[in-house]
Amino acid sequence: MKQIIYTEWLKVKNYRTFWAMLLLALIIIPAGNFMVADKFTENLQQLSKLVGNPFSFPDVWLTMASINSYISALFGLLLIILVTNEYTYRTNRQNIIDGWERKHFVYAKLFWLVLLALLTLVVATISAALVGVIYGNKPVSFEGYEYMLYYFLQLVVMLTIALLIGVLVKRAGLAIVLFVAYNMMLDQLLTFLLKRYIGAAGGLLPLQSGDELLPFPLVGKMVTTSDHYDTYVYILAMLCYIILGIFLVFRKILKSDL
Amino acid sequence: MPILTLQNISKRYGAVQALAGVSFEVPAGSVFGILGPNGSGKTTLLGIVTDVLKADTGHFTLFDKTPTARERRKIGTLLETPNFYHYLSGYKNLEISAAVKQRGKDDIARVLDICGLTQRQHSAFKTYSLGMKQRLAIAAVLLGDPEVLILDEPTNGLDPAGIAEVRDLVRRLAGTGKTIILASHLLDEVEKVCTHVAILRKGNLLLSGAVNEVISRNDYIEIAAADNHALRLALLQYPGCTNAELNGGLLKVMFAAQPDAAAINNYCAQQGIWLSHLQLRKKSLETAFLEITNTPVQ
Repeated sequence: MKQIIYTEWLKVKNYRTFWAMLLLALIIIPAGNFMVADKFTENLQQLSKLVGNPFSFPDVWLTMASINSYISALFGLLLIILVTNEYTYRTNRQNIIDGWERKHFVYAKLFWLVLLALLTLVVATISAALVGVIYGNKPVSFEGYEYMLYYFLQLVVMLTIALLIGVLVKRAGLAIVLFVAYNMMLDQLLTFLLKRYIGAAGGLLPLQSGDELLPFPLVGKMVTTSDHYDTYVYILAMLCYIILGIFLVFRKILKSDL
Repeated sequence: MPILTLQNISKRYGAVQALAGVSFEVPAGSVFGILGPNGSGKTTLLGIVTDVLKADTGHFTLFDKTPTARERRKIGTLLETPNFYHYLSGYKNLEISAAVKQRGKDDIARVLDICGLTQRQHSAFKTYSLGMKQRLAIAAVLLGDPEVLILDEPTNGLDPAGIAEVRDLVRRLAGTGKTIILASHLLDEVEKVCTHVAILRKGNLLLSGAVNEVISRNDYIEIAAADNHALRLALLQYPGCTNAELNGGLLKVMFAAQPDAAAINNYCAQQGIWLSHLQLRKKSLETAFLEITNTPVQ
């Protein structure tokens, strides 16, 4: 595994696009967090007296996780680029020819998935904590931090979808279009239709499962929806999607012609 | 120990049978030419051997073992096209090759030098000409001085000087006892270096084995006299002569066995024909190849 990570490091070390996108994706988190906190504190002070300050501990974890879940797609694009580059340059073949097992190629890309997710969690945690300290009026507390973990899980689901699309589609352009379309519209649209005609099961779609656990702070507090499963159901759904996605990626890479 | 043993390998792409039950063996130390026209299945075969393609049926061994990445790391392979990260320099690309092959970086300077890329080693791959890309691919093959090389059309994209260099390189490597598997449709590329061949056509293996055993390349003679028609008739009577055809001002005469120029000269003199030209020639691999590949598949 060390050898694989070292090789992946050599691939990106001098890759400017990668660093620019990573930086952008990471900056968006605190930028988004602080922007919302700043605007909200400025404009809605009256409302916050009624429903409480969403930027104080412990609510800040949910607030920030909820905001972050809207602005994380860039990490998916980054992963898609790392994957489809290998197909564009046909280096996915060359890595195998030169001495990787096919599964090593999957490990290499799973490494990115895990690393990007962890990196995001760390940045999001620091950013939310800072917002809580600066805009909140209660002492630091990790109560409610589970919302950050739900966000992390949702991020892993999203990155798994990105990885799967990248591996199946192979071409950067089409993969990005499909991913963005699913991420920004399809998942929500399907959720809307399923919820309307079937019911709560509509909330079990890959990305929606995470969203169900990250309700928009103030609205979520005021509106209690009855068609809602217990938390563990959504967590289980997300874990299933992750396992299924990774299984499909392995199957595709191990069985098909490269 | 055979380096590569193929048993009954078949592969189909939709309606196209790319390989149909191909079996042969590559002995250690041989320079093994895989010959065949475009689309005959050469690259598919090597793709299967390097695990980038999956055979539908059949199996193969490398170094007498079930092939894994460990076996592939002992082989330097250039398959089809040079595959490198466009945004990285030649040197950095070779660093990645070295990492995947689990070899140190200390050999990079040597292989860049052999392939004449030292000057441009820090330029991005995407700025390379076609020939330079191919040279970099050959450099990657040589990395770590592997005992076995697989070269699929290694002279693609090279200029005449480059082609000559690669041929020379293959010859030198063969001289050091390395096993080289060379796929090509350019026969003169193979002619001078190969000890063994496998000939493919439309996915079928036509023949394989040591060059001298499997391809009959008996010498023939080119001959001329004042009256070539009389000469032709006389030679057709000569024992062992299988064919004689007029080709320009010369008569091309084939024999079932190795012809003896002195005896033929003597024979013609006895017939009262005085030769103005007599030369012993070797049938080119190209001619032999065309003869083989033009025969319908049984």
